[in-house]
Amino acid sequence: MKRLFSSVLLRKMLTVMVFCWPAVVFAQDELAPVSRTYAITNVNIVQAPGRKIDMGTVVMKDGLIVSVGKNVSIPADAIVIKADSMYVYAGFIDGLSRVGLTKPKDEERGGRPKDPGNPKPEEAGITPNNDVRASINPNEKSIEELRALGFTAAHVVPYGGMMPGNGAIILLSGKSADDMVLVNKSSFYSELSPARGVYPATVMGVMAKYRELYRQAVLSRAYENSYASNRAGIQRPATDRVIESLYPVVDKRQPVLFKAERVVDAQRVLTLQNDLGFSLMLAELKEGWDIVNKLKSANARVFLSLDLPEDKDKKDDKKKDEPRKEEGKKDEVKKEEPKKEEAPKTGTAEEKAALEKRKAEFMAKYVGQAATFQKASVKFGFSTLSAKSGNIQGNLRRMIEAGLPEDAALASLTTAPAELLGLSDRLGSIDNGKIANLVISDKPYFNEKAKVRYVFVEGTMYKFEVKDSKESKEGKKGEGGKDGGVKVEGEWNISTETTNGVEQARLTLKKEGNAITGTMSGGSINPAVDIENARLEGNSLTFNFTFNYGGSKLKVEVAVKIDGDTLKGTSTVAEYGSYPTEGKRLPK
Amino acid sequence: MKKLIIIACLLIAVSGMAQQLERGTVLIKNGTVLTITQGVKENTDVLIKDGKISQIGKNIAAPAGARVIDATGHHVMPGIIDAHSHLALDAVNEATTPVSAMVWEGDDLDPLDVGMYRAVAGGVTISHAMHGSANAIGGQCQTIKHRYGTVDPRVLMMEGAPRTIKFALGENPTRVHGNNGAGIVPNTRMGVEFVIRQAFSEGKEYMESWNKYNASKNQKGFRGAPPKYDLRMETIAAILRGEIIIHCHSYRADEIYMLLKVCKDFGIKRLVFQHVNEGFKVAPELAAQGAMASVFADWWAYKFEVYYSTAYNAAILTRNGVVTSINSDDAELTRHLYHEAAKTQKYGGLTDEEALSLITINPAKQLGIESRVGSLEVGKDGDVVIFKGHPLSVYAVPTFTIIDGVVKFDREKDPDDMRLYVDPKQTIDMTDAVFEDESSHNHDECMKNAEFLLGVKFADQNR
Repeated sequence: MKRLFSSVLLRKMLTVMVFCWPAVVFAQDELAPVSRTYAITNVNIVQAPGRKIDMGTVVMKDGLIVSVGKNVSIPADAIVIKADSMYVYAGFIDGLSRVGLTKPKDEERGGRPKDPGNPKPEEAGITPNNDVRASINPNEKSIEELRALGFTAAHVVPYGGMMPGNGAIILLSGKSADDMVLVNKSSFYSELSPARGVYPATVMGVMAKYRELYRQAVLSRAYENSYASNRAGIQRPATDRVIESLYPVVDKRQPVLFKAERVVDAQRVLTLQNDLGFSLMLAELKEGWDIVNKLKSANARVFLSLDLPEDKDKKDDKKKDEPRKEEGKKDEVKKEEPKKEEAPKTGTAEEKAALEKRKAEFMAKYVGQAATFQKASVKFGFSTLSAKSGNIQGNLRRMIEAGLPEDAALASLTTAPAELLGLSDRLGSIDNGKIANLVISDKPYFNEKAKVRYVFVEGTMYKFEVKDSKESKEGKKGEGGKDGGVKVEGEWNISTETTNGVEQARLTLKKEGNAITGTMSGGSINPAVDIENARLEGNSLTFNFTFNYGGSKLKVEVAVKIDGDTLKGTSTVAEYGSYPTEGKRLPK
Repeated sequence: MKKLIIIACLLIAVSGMAQQLERGTVLIKNGTVLTITQGVKENTDVLIKDGKISQIGKNIAAPAGARVIDATGHHVMPGIIDAHSHLALDAVNEATTPVSAMVWEGDDLDPLDVGMYRAVAGGVTISHAMHGSANAIGGQCQTIKHRYGTVDPRVLMMEGAPRTIKFALGENPTRVHGNNGAGIVPNTRMGVEFVIRQAFSEGKEYMESWNKYNASKNQKGFRGAPPKYDLRMETIAAILRGEIIIHCHSYRADEIYMLLKVCKDFGIKRLVFQHVNEGFKVAPELAAQGAMASVFADWWAYKFEVYYSTAYNAAILTRNGVVTSINSDDAELTRHLYHEAAKTQKYGGLTDEEALSLITINPAKQLGIESRVGSLEVGKDGDVVIFKGHPLSVYAVPTFTIIDGVVKFDREKDPDDMRLYVDPKQTIDMTDAVFEDESSHNHDECMKNAEFLLGVKFADQNR
């Protein structure tokens, strides 16, 4: 474990601490604990939203909660945790994420596919027989990050296209993928994601293919049943791995879990559900405020995204205000001729103000989405699929500020997702017999200053020690300076998503003093070219390069943010557009 | 009995689907009413009640709760219909296969497209949201009413409008599929004909195999397997049964004539040609077979097969008895289709009624919705535009646009920002504005989403 604290990781963790999780250090015993019985004493127990026990005790044994209350006897073998005046909640449940999964590498595409209209199901993103267990890595960093926020279980789904495979509900602790799984094949995961360059390459293609496969499955299921009743004398049913994977769905034994962030996507999913009649879970919803009642009448089980548009305006406001104030001052000084100045200014200023007003109106809708659902009495959980772990607590607080009652926020992290996922007998509240998933914070969880101190996942303890703020300040100091201690040197694998697929390239960066030099090579960039105008400010790196593409010179401007050994940003080609760019530093 | 139950279930399902459509009551007073089908009526009132035209005449009393619009000195005409548009669509081409009949633009409508409001501001109340022209047999299209303001795509779909599908001949389908070295038919114009004939033949076989299965499955003791369900063939079969109107992208007379023959061979009657720049050469043949034509007023030479063209096309087709419309195929041009229609008076001397028919009742016929819209008649939908000035004048300005009796555009109340959803993180970027402007000059929207199959890197060099 200690070995993991390499300088890079440490720095990353410091960054996390400084910016979003002040002064916390992860620590976990390497050796198996001497006992699997724990007693948390003198703690404020929030058994479930609205059910509280002040200064009580929770006892866990072998991964289960065995007693909860005020006058609870503590077993002799219990490890006692004096959680004096802390707060304990049921562990949080994430309705949709890929926590614990390693993103598969984008395959390099070898130009135009041969027969794009008839791809193999795998090429078309149709892999419903995939098992998410095959891609779970129990040591994946994301598990640790999500757990540190209090999440103890998650509904995870494989990567892929329109039908990526079966989802599973996992506990965020365990030595192997199988070990972590609480419910396997908990959902038939689907997205409206088109395939690249082959059918279905558009969302209407995805919708058509979805209908076709579903109806084929209905027909073939019926025939298979008829065949099973008497096999003699009729043709055997054809076997098909895709169609067979749909049988639990058409039998209504397995719900379809659809990702739909935008309102338009959610409407399309509702159309499919209306046409085909499957049982629907809709997750990672970000723009649902106009369709609350529709989701209600479709009996959809909804998980709202914990990702919110970042409220950068608050930071920028100061900057914007400054020139305005200056203008104001100018007006004061030149009192004699104020009309001349005002006339041309009004048009654009008014337009800007109108735009800002509309932006603020919509920011309020995104942030207030959860409150809107709560007011309409729709039960919902949360999902973290596209949320950065560092923003989750802040986003929850923003939702609460926008009108979501704290109890409702807690319900959406605990009891509601447990119910929506059919886990109420095992998870979601602190009651005898349930799985010992707990989160303990030093202040009420939604308090801005609250810090998670312990997380239990099926009785396994994770402890987070709070260091005093001095050290975190020192940590900040250490990161000071113009480039924030960001390391740019090394070999980077760069992939850029262009309209024509993913372009792979190799970026080599060197740093001498403050000067950054380097080369880009590989993929379409042959021979290698030098990068120009490289600049590093904070963790933002910008540079450009020009290469020969099909006889013409393309100038690419790159702007990325470096985060440890990864970078992310955009590559812009003048007059064509911007493309998302990601990179990974190669280990030496 | 079982059938009845199924029908009942279907009805319930359908009514569940049916969205609450907003319908209004408006009394338009004292305008010059251009009915299109029943002449011009001066100083006349039009009453729209609960979304339908209930009365046209003099001195109509306003019912309780009606909005009254004084149209004195103004012209009142039916909502303009654009028979070729790609408004409110996310994707235009499923360009991966030469026959993409399984896909349907109704599935990727984007109700948030502010382009619809701009069209409404130009008097356009209905457009035909079409699949692109990358494939010989493209996707199914959707006739939409510009009920801008909803987030529900199903509200946009014109209830009861017949199904339509896009076909394409000539350079586009051959360029996307065959000419790319991939060895996929069609590589030539005769290849296009082959692809269409083959699809129709397969569709016929498919339909027959299902008919056979359906006929025998209820017989006692029958335990056979159903044919494999194929959404592409389901659509082709529906074309052959006459349930879907073909709208075919075409330019050259020879291949227009080719498709006329193919449709005759397969007994297909409902056929509209789109663009049809050389339609004037085969106008009598089109008229004889009842095929219709939807053309540009004066737009050509944007690719080799579109050079032999004339601004007299619409007039020649009209005078030869072909039901002709003028379309936009463009989010900007659709805003002044009345100007486009007026061009036929300079080039061909069409009468006011003929010229206005090109953007009202004729496109309605081409979309199979002429019993509902396209003229001002009692019983028809309350889709109305009010113009200051005659709509065929260069000084024409739309002042009100009404859909189902609901005022969707009022020039006096026309805020700058009519977007339904706003990105709270939007930044104002002048370079973006320039890009947007450039793309509006790309008149070949029919090829949207097909670029990646043309081996073009980084961007669309397909203008």
